[in-house]
Amino acid sequence: MSRVFKPLAGWISSALVAVFFLLPLIWMVHASFRPENRIFAGGFGGILDFGDLHAGNYAAAWRRASMGRAMFVSLTQAAGIIGIGLLVNSLAAYAFARMDFRGKNPLFALVVALIILPVEVLAVPLFLTARDLGLTGGLLPTLGALILPFSAKAFNIYFLRQHFLSLPMELEEAARVDGASTFRIYWKIALPSIRPALATVIVLDVLTHWSDFIWPLIVCTREETRTVQIGLANLFTEPPIQYGHILAAAVIATLPVLLIFRLAQTHMVASHNNVGIK
Amino acid sequence: MKKIRHTAQKNPDARTAWGFLAPALVLLGLFVLWPTLRALFWSFTDADLLRPQQAQPQGTANYSDLLNDPRFRQAFFNTALFALMVVPVQTVFAFFLALWVNRPEAYWRWLRTVFFVPVVVSLPVLAILWTLLYQPVRGEEMGLINALITGIGLPGQRWLRDPNLALPALAFMSVWQGAGFQMLIFLAGLQNLNSETLEAARIDGAGSWQRLRFVILPAMKNSIIFVVTATLILSFRLFAQPYLMTGGGPDGRTRSLIQFIYETTFQDRNLGLASAGVILFLFIVAFLTLLQRLAGKEEKS
Repeated sequence: MSRVFKPLAGWISSALVAVFFLLPLIWMVHASFRPENRIFAGGFGGILDFGDLHAGNYAAAWRRASMGRAMFVSLTQAAGIIGIGLLVNSLAAYAFARMDFRGKNPLFALVVALIILPVEVLAVPLFLTARDLGLTGGLLPTLGALILPFSAKAFNIYFLRQHFLSLPMELEEAARVDGASTFRIYWKIALPSIRPALATVIVLDVLTHWSDFIWPLIVCTREETRTVQIGLANLFTEPPIQYGHILAAAVIATLPVLLIFRLAQTHMVASHNNVGIK
Repeated sequence: MKKIRHTAQKNPDARTAWGFLAPALVLLGLFVLWPTLRALFWSFTDADLLRPQQAQPQGTANYSDLLNDPRFRQAFFNTALFALMVVPVQTVFAFFLALWVNRPEAYWRWLRTVFFVPVVVSLPVLAILWTLLYQPVRGEEMGLINALITGIGLPGQRWLRDPNLALPALAFMSVWQGAGFQMLIFLAGLQNLNSETLEAARIDGAGSWQRLRFVILPAMKNSIIFVVTATLILSFRLFAQPYLMTGGGPDGRTRSLIQFIYETTFQDRNLGLASAGVILFLFIVAFLTLLQRLAGKEEKS
């Protein structure tokens, strides 16, 4: 009896928990195709109502939230943070891992201490610094404000240093004997060897900054400089409130991160295996 | 091995090292360290958002104002209460999810993926989605959650508009959103668990409670410390949910610390008071991080 019953109970309960995690998102996608007056109708069975589904909400959301432009701003932000960030953070991490200089240990301790400073709370003083540097207003300055403060990241320096330290020295030694410069050794040998760690950094940065809210709320003051999340939030707060448009915009805002989902899943586990738990 | 490493470190000269460090240090200094120091300075002045140059020193007045400000006290209380709801529930839930799906078959690997999906969806999207899910009953119309509970015969609730339910509703959403991430960390921790020890305990007749208490929990101690403190610090950073879902209401019952700092800066333009809030917040985070270090140290000795 229990030999049949136990796995069956396991499957049923696991399916229920899976529904618990997925149902809100399934509802979001389904409702985004429903006509405005049916989104909250039909009680719990409403989720099984497939009549009158249409994609009109998507066209309206794309237009009303200027999603094309917002996607450009958000994708440029992500690309800028990753591009500049990978370079400056890995350079610093390599120096901490492989070079000897005066004040190295206190400097590294300072960098580690900076890890705990969260952007949400620094947003206010950071805004005044961005304003002093002229990083407010038009598209180009705003992109600077969205990218530059988050490209150098104390956690990423710490994380990449751990990975440089775990590399065997022999290859770099051999290259040095052959007369390669330090930068060449870093660029041609060390950096390619920690590719999985770089992928982890990319995934974490994309997930973090695609979600950014308080900072773009402060610096994206003009319509043409809004990120995807701010465009979505504006649909949600500025009349006329159309729930179909809001839901369609929410789905649009989610698609880019779903594309890196598989990558995210693998690398998040790996990263926490390596540095998260000490 | 030690000798090789030592000579290698001596090889490149210090100038190269500083060249490698300079870009990151300049950016960190300008955008992290400098704003922090400025906030510290402003917290002792009457700085105004529009004229911070004209700030006049006024001692610790901002700090005493802050501690006497009922809005700040309420925001602190709300944030702490939110953390007290999220941290234990999410940790225990994620812990049992990890134990449960820690099996090799494809079905359970697929389940892990499913539990992880809400983690990658961005917070503003989820905050807006859950506002619609929590929609109160209005005639025939209602959000999915009220549809579910009225469907099984319970009375519909006003959730985000109910002063007593709004903060628990935000906490519930956070548990749903973050549990998959904590589960992954616990799954990584479970790799350190010696399956032979577990098997030996089973053969010796240890029940499932005893195996949990004496074999699994001790092996998972570091993962648990990490998850608890990381979740605690993350909960204190609460902003997008109250900002989008409740506006801090009803009656300020969901206003968070970050939201208080944000409003004090951009609505009241009181940069001095907001800066004092920033510094107090950083002290809280530093204190929580220190607790994690201490708990981790104790484990080692």
